[in-house]
Amino acid sequence: MEGKIIVVTSGKGGVGKTTTTSAIGAALALEGNRVAIVDMDIGLRNLDVVMGLENRIVFNIVDVVQQKCKIEQAAIRDRRIENLFLIPASQSDNKDVLSTAGIERVAEDLRKQFDYIIMDSPAGIERGFENSIVGASEALVVCTPDVSAVRDADRVIGILYSRSLTPKLIVNRIEPGRVKRGEMLSHEDVMDVLAIELAGLVPMDDKVLISSNTGTPLVLQNDSKAGQAFKRIARRLNGEADLPFEAPTDRSSMWGKISRTFGLR
Amino acid sequence: MINFESVAPVKLKGVGKGFWITLDPSQPEKILICEIDKLIRKLKHLAVNADLVLDVGDAKGHDALIEQIKIYLRENFELGHIGTSPVKRSVPLERIRQRDLSSGWNQHRSDVLMLRGRVRSGQAINAKKHLVITGDVNPGAELIAGGDVIVLGKLFGKVHAGYPDREDAIIFALGFNPSHVKIGSISALGSEGGGGSSSEFASVENNKIIIKDYMKASPFRRLPWPEAI
Ligand SMILES: Nc1ncnc2c1ncn2[C@@H]1O[C@H](COP(=O)(O)OP(=O)(O)O)[C@@H](O)[C@H]1O
Ligand SMILES: [Mg+2]
Repeated sequence: MEGKIIVVTSGKGGVGKTTTTSAIGAALALEGNRVAIVDMDIGLRNLDVVMGLENRIVFNIVDVVQQKCKIEQAAIRDRRIENLFLIPASQSDNKDVLSTAGIERVAEDLRKQFDYIIMDSPAGIERGFENSIVGASEALVVCTPDVSAVRDADRVIGILYSRSLTPKLIVNRIEPGRVKRGEMLSHEDVMDVLAIELAGLVPMDDKVLISSNTGTPLVLQNDSKAGQAFKRIARRLNGEADLPFEAPTDRSSMWGKISRTFGLR
Repeated sequence: MINFESVAPVKLKGVGKGFWITLDPSQPEKILICEIDKLIRKLKHLAVNADLVLDVGDAKGHDALIEQIKIYLRENFELGHIGTSPVKRSVPLERIRQRDLSSGWNQHRSDVLMLRGRVRSGQAINAKKHLVITGDVNPGAELIAGGDVIVLGKLFGKVHAGYPDREDAIIFALGFNPSHVKIGSISALGSEGGGGSSSEFASVENNKIIIKDYMKASPFRRLPWPEAI
């Protein structure tokens, strides 16, 4: 069986692509899949930091595409989660050196070696974004509940459709209290405009920042609402398409219930 | 005697108990009034209480001119009723309508662009003539049509109907909420986040864009016959 390449996109920066990539990659590995996380945000690499693997980088994705090394040499094995690998971005902004043919070749190799390949993409719709969708078979669009993120996500969705990719939506950083007070769009508002299949709803959660600062996987924290939400998204991607959606609420007791149900595996 | 065969801009003949004035509406109003005045003065007492018909033939859109002439005549003569010629039946129009009726309008070829689905931010749609979209138009999308724009869904984004200069075009949406509206060369900004839940349309009135409730003021309800476009 060939693996799937899932690209994580958004249009706007800072909405949670990198967080999503690492969390979903980790969750899919915890489900028993062999997973590669590929940082296609070239020049701004930060997946290695979020995953706490920055000290072990030798080669990067640009080296792989340019055939300076093999995939096995560039892929860094995660310390805590088995079967999880990171192929980091290069630090220098040399995305223009990546050829489409080269990326396609690497994508093919990755599909042979892994069950899931999750690609983090840069903000915007320029060359770096184009590079990140070249080999993808599926796409996730991350959007926060604000007007400008929705506008950019909509643009990206149009571009993905034009490449015959059918994206799924993740609404991230939902703050139920602020939605209730009318200060923020609701996830329904976002879904109403973007009108694509939902992959999941992720609440605002302080644990996200703590997790990336300490390099500990979010999905290993059972008290993290966002971590649990990402785990549910991974289960949906991994075949449990009918797993119901839980809308974030500001009553912590509700979330308590949910995380008990879907907590330790 | 009156010369019936003259090529003058105004001709007069007697009909029944009144007179029929045929006039060429392409002539300046002053000349027309002056000529009519001359003719009626020649009639002397025959004109008193006589009914009068003002006839511009097949020409259309001269209501203002006719009105001016009527005012002048009422002020200067003691005529009876002043009317206009009954609208003549148009032979070509009748032929077209008969054909449409018998063939069920099926012989028309149309430039109307009809799309279904969602139009997204950054997408631009150009229609030569009318544009019909069954679906929503998202913020950041752009529609340009040579004729009308009809959206059977929510309309956000920028819309230009009647491109480049047709000010008789309209923009209709079930949920009317565009950020920018332009009809012909006249434009207006939409109200941010306002309304949008009722079916409204935009049209040009007195060089301004006016938004109206479609169910109350549809511009098409006045058309008595289904016209192919
Ligand atoms: N659900 C969340 N709750 C709280 N903070 C979040 C959440 N998702 C992302 N963040 C924070 O938002 C910032 C941007 O996230 P990141 O994943 O780097 O976005 P991107 O890769 O799209 O630029 C980071 O500081 C991250 O910790
Ligand atoms: Mg990022």
